[in-house]
Amino acid sequence: MRPVDPRLLARIGPARRYVIVTAALGLATAIIIGLQAFAISRALAPVLAPAPLTEDGLGWLGLAMPVAARDLSVALAWIGVLVALRVAITWVQERLAHRAGVDVIAALRARVVAHAARLGPRWVASGDGASITTTATRGLDGLLPYFVRYLPQLLLACTVTPLMLLVVLDLDWISAAIIGLTIPLVPIFMVLIGLLTQARSARHIEAMERLAARTLDLISGLPTLRALGRHLGPAARVRELGDRQRRATMGSLRIAFLSGMVLELLTTLAVALVAVTLGFRLVYGEVSIETALAVLVLAPEVYLPLRNVGTHFHASADGLAAADAAFAVLDTDPSRVGGSGPAPDLTGAAIVATGLTVATPDAARHAPHRLSFEARPGEVTALVGPNGDGKSTALLALMGLLAGDAGAVAARLSNGATVPLAEVDADAWARQCAWVPQRPDLGVEGRTMSLGQRERAALARAFESDRPVLVLDEPTAHLDSAARGDVVVRIRAAAAVGRTVIVASHEPALIGAADRVVEVLSSRAASG
Amino acid sequence: MTAGGVSPARALRRALTDAQVSRARTTGAVLWGTAAIGSAVGLAATAAWMIAKAAGMPSPADLAIAAVVVRFFGVGRGLFRYLERLASHDVALRGVVALRVRVYERLASAPPSRVLPLSRGQVMARLGADIDAVGDAVVRGLIPTAVAVSVSGVAVTIAAITVPVAGAALAAWLLLAGLGTAALTRRSARVAASKGVTADALVTERSLAAIEAAPEHLVWGTQADAMDALANAETDSRAAHEAAARPAALAAAVQVLAAGGALITSIAIAVSQAFAGTIGPTTAAVVALLPLAAFEAVNAIPAAVQQLERSAAAARRIEELAPYDDAGQVPPPAEQRGNRGPASASAVRSAVTIEARELSAAWPQMAPTRPVSFVVAPGEVVAIVGPSGIGKTTLVATLAGALAPHGGEALIDGERASVAHLGAAIAVTAEDAHLFGTTVFENLRAARGDITEAQARDALATVGLAAWVETLPDGLDTLVGSGGGTVSGGERRRLLLARALLTRQPAHVIDEPGEHLDAAGREALRAVLARMREEGRTVVIVTHDLDLLDAADRTVSIGSVGSDA
Repeated sequence: MRPVDPRLLARIGPARRYVIVTAALGLATAIIIGLQAFAISRALAPVLAPAPLTEDGLGWLGLAMPVAARDLSVALAWIGVLVALRVAITWVQERLAHRAGVDVIAALRARVVAHAARLGPRWVASGDGASITTTATRGLDGLLPYFVRYLPQLLLACTVTPLMLLVVLDLDWISAAIIGLTIPLVPIFMVLIGLLTQARSARHIEAMERLAARTLDLISGLPTLRALGRHLGPAARVRELGDRQRRATMGSLRIAFLSGMVLELLTTLAVALVAVTLGFRLVYGEVSIETALAVLVLAPEVYLPLRNVGTHFHASADGLAAADAAFAVLDTDPSRVGGSGPAPDLTGAAIVATGLTVATPDAARHAPHRLSFEARPGEVTALVGPNGDGKSTALLALMGLLAGDAGAVAARLSNGATVPLAEVDADAWARQCAWVPQRPDLGVEGRTMSLGQRERAALARAFESDRPVLVLDEPTAHLDSAARGDVVVRIRAAAAVGRTVIVASHEPALIGAADRVVEVLSSRAASG
Repeated sequence: MTAGGVSPARALRRALTDAQVSRARTTGAVLWGTAAIGSAVGLAATAAWMIAKAAGMPSPADLAIAAVVVRFFGVGRGLFRYLERLASHDVALRGVVALRVRVYERLASAPPSRVLPLSRGQVMARLGADIDAVGDAVVRGLIPTAVAVSVSGVAVTIAAITVPVAGAALAAWLLLAGLGTAALTRRSARVAASKGVTADALVTERSLAAIEAAPEHLVWGTQADAMDALANAETDSRAAHEAAARPAALAAAVQVLAAGGALITSIAIAVSQAFAGTIGPTTAAVVALLPLAAFEAVNAIPAAVQQLERSAAAARRIEELAPYDDAGQVPPPAEQRGNRGPASASAVRSAVTIEARELSAAWPQMAPTRPVSFVVAPGEVVAIVGPSGIGKTTLVATLAGALAPHGGEALIDGERASVAHLGAAIAVTAEDAHLFGTTVFENLRAARGDITEAQARDALATVGLAAWVETLPDGLDTLVGSGGGTVSGGERRRLLLARALLTRQPAHVIDEPGEHLDAAGREALRAVLARMREEGRTVVIVTHDLDLLDAADRTVSIGSVGSDA
């Protein structure tokens, strides 16, 4: 696991600015911590020293904290100022961290959602639609602890830790050696354990998404199960799914927390060793009490950012794994349907399919298989055939919403020119089609309507639009016979004003009103 | 509604009771946590004592015990902390699983009218995140708070034993860092945190809408609207996070202030008393340096309070979505693992008669259906016809006992139809019945658990799907996508008919079976109705497809009063 995903910094502006400011604040914090340790040792040394102090135990660093601070009131004044500064820095840092975290997540989410929408109806239908939502919402929210907790500590580990180590080295090289020997062990263990957790964390997210989808599926089906009197059984299944997730999570935590333990063990034990060593050397007069006090106060501060990095590592791993998944979506190329040429005006144009063939998502069948027809302006063309043979898929391909695996779609314009869909802007092509899908969504407000209401609203939107091509998928489903008759009348009216009407239907009245009827067939995919 | 007046704190307590959070396990986690941070305090105190002692240049042997104790604390901290983290997460995860099951059970036994309107985005945002939030209350709320209290007690005791006034000063600063920040965090974050969860749920819903209906948005040029809706939700979410972050930042600053203040007062007391000769140098060192380690535990309080607030809001929403019975009654436990029949299988009768007497049906604020009277005897098929939107589905819900009649009576074998009949005496195949994201076979077994493969194949043959199953890569064990996305509309409908055929309830209502049915699908429906009639079942079909009426023994036409749709 990389502690900082370079793509976050490279692609997301707020992330970059935040890191720079936080690093600067970290540097200021390091200086304050050092000065505070000096002030503490100045204040306490006269009390603990067996004889009046003659030497300056801080050496040339005493320049930063004058000997005058051995006077209690001077030391307390120094500490007071330093505490006030640290309070201010803490406030600023916290505010910045939250703002940056929320901004980065929002920016990343907007890109992921927009890109996922571009990946096409087949991608949405394949079920990745549900798991990408988990990634885009709960997954990415895991980045907030990364920005608020982990990243600042990481930057403190890059500023406070080395600076304080240098200070200790100048004060007492033996203590610095003890600390210096343990610090390299920290990243070594971090990398080793990080390698283990990375795979685990990725698996954990995967398990979470799978479980979310399956629990969701059970709950979505609750009304159905209730109607069949089978609603109580799946509680056991919910428990089983949950227990499996708990065991997987605990397994991952046992290893994830191991890194934290090793970190705390190494760092706290090293502080203890520094203290013990200083104690025995004080007995033999090898080190001054002023020096010993400064080192004793500074030793834990060297490790503190490292320890905090370890503490927040697990949360950040989840967030970063989610960011990784998000970038994977962003790096998925949408299957391009059209080309670079400008889309022709489809007013008065015939839509021509030639040998159009689309493989099903499992590649087992072709539906439709070698579909050829011409839908002329001013006419109603009905696609008929058994369910599952590719009528809806054919409509998507005609509108340029998905690419066929073989064959072609083209427009024959009123001036006689033929323009293949593959050579022109497919989006502009699609926007000339008034489409009513089988279960229209109609956006946010559509979610409160019944299926029949949505169908009627979607049909009204299509008929009332001025788009030259009408594409209706089972337009009479969910309608009563009176409304069905009305649909037939309006379809004929649309053709009468020169629109190109393509309908997929089983409705005999509708098929009877069509000018031409095209049968859609499927086939097994040829093996090899 | 009972949940309306439930306070979030009370909802959280009930949710934690529901989650069966073990007291013993929780106490264990708190003890490990106290040992871990207590080790840090102990390390600071003994190291200070040792350095101060050593400065007096005693015999090295005088430092031996202190040296061992310092090293022990050095090891203990990491070890105890590891044990605490594992113990607390285990407690929480167990609670989450238990709570998930309880919430599912409550939803399952809730009135169907409450379950029906759950939209996908809501379910996703609510049940997933909210139940996890209750688990977080344990790990990030209750346990850290308990550890902070016990560790602070240890630190104050150490200081007070040696210099009472120093103990009192430390206690005061610890109280500021604990209670002060807790009150600050709670007061300002209470509204903000609940807003934050609501705003995040809206973000989830809008994300889902933007992705799922993407092709429709592309064609109609409404992608920008969908993205704007998401951006608006995101703005609300940002404002809610801001509101929650401000007190959090203030609390963090107060923590630094309290720890700094404690350091200043401790040094002042220790140094002045030492110069006055009232305490020795070792005591002075311990008292002066103790604050450097004493604040770690109490610094976890603001985060803990915020977590508890968020969890309480989440628990309240869970309760609103899946309320407890008014009597506080516990819903019946889940069946044992493995698939058995319906819960009340013993009460299933072999044949029932359905009767409507001047029955009219309506959801609240809906025009009622015209009163109708009819009787369906075992072995009969009655078709209810009427224009769409007239309330046929509502009438079905009333006939099956899911909804109380608006007027008249719905009777099943002479008893008033009630929720108890639904799924026991009578089953319903709804217009939008769910196809589960599992195998074809398991989807059929949703009808009842003891179906054999031969029975499944027989039912599939009846609806004309025998050849279709043969073409599937794994036959009956082929997974059909979430929501049945990878089967066509006609296949889906016929699978649902096969499932209806396999139910064991003596009465069955099939709603709007004419939809998306091609010629083969209509044949399938006729075959299913014929089989049900042979089996002596009582069948009601609801349709507006007049071609299907010849498959029924009688037809009942409904229409709402004063409306011809």
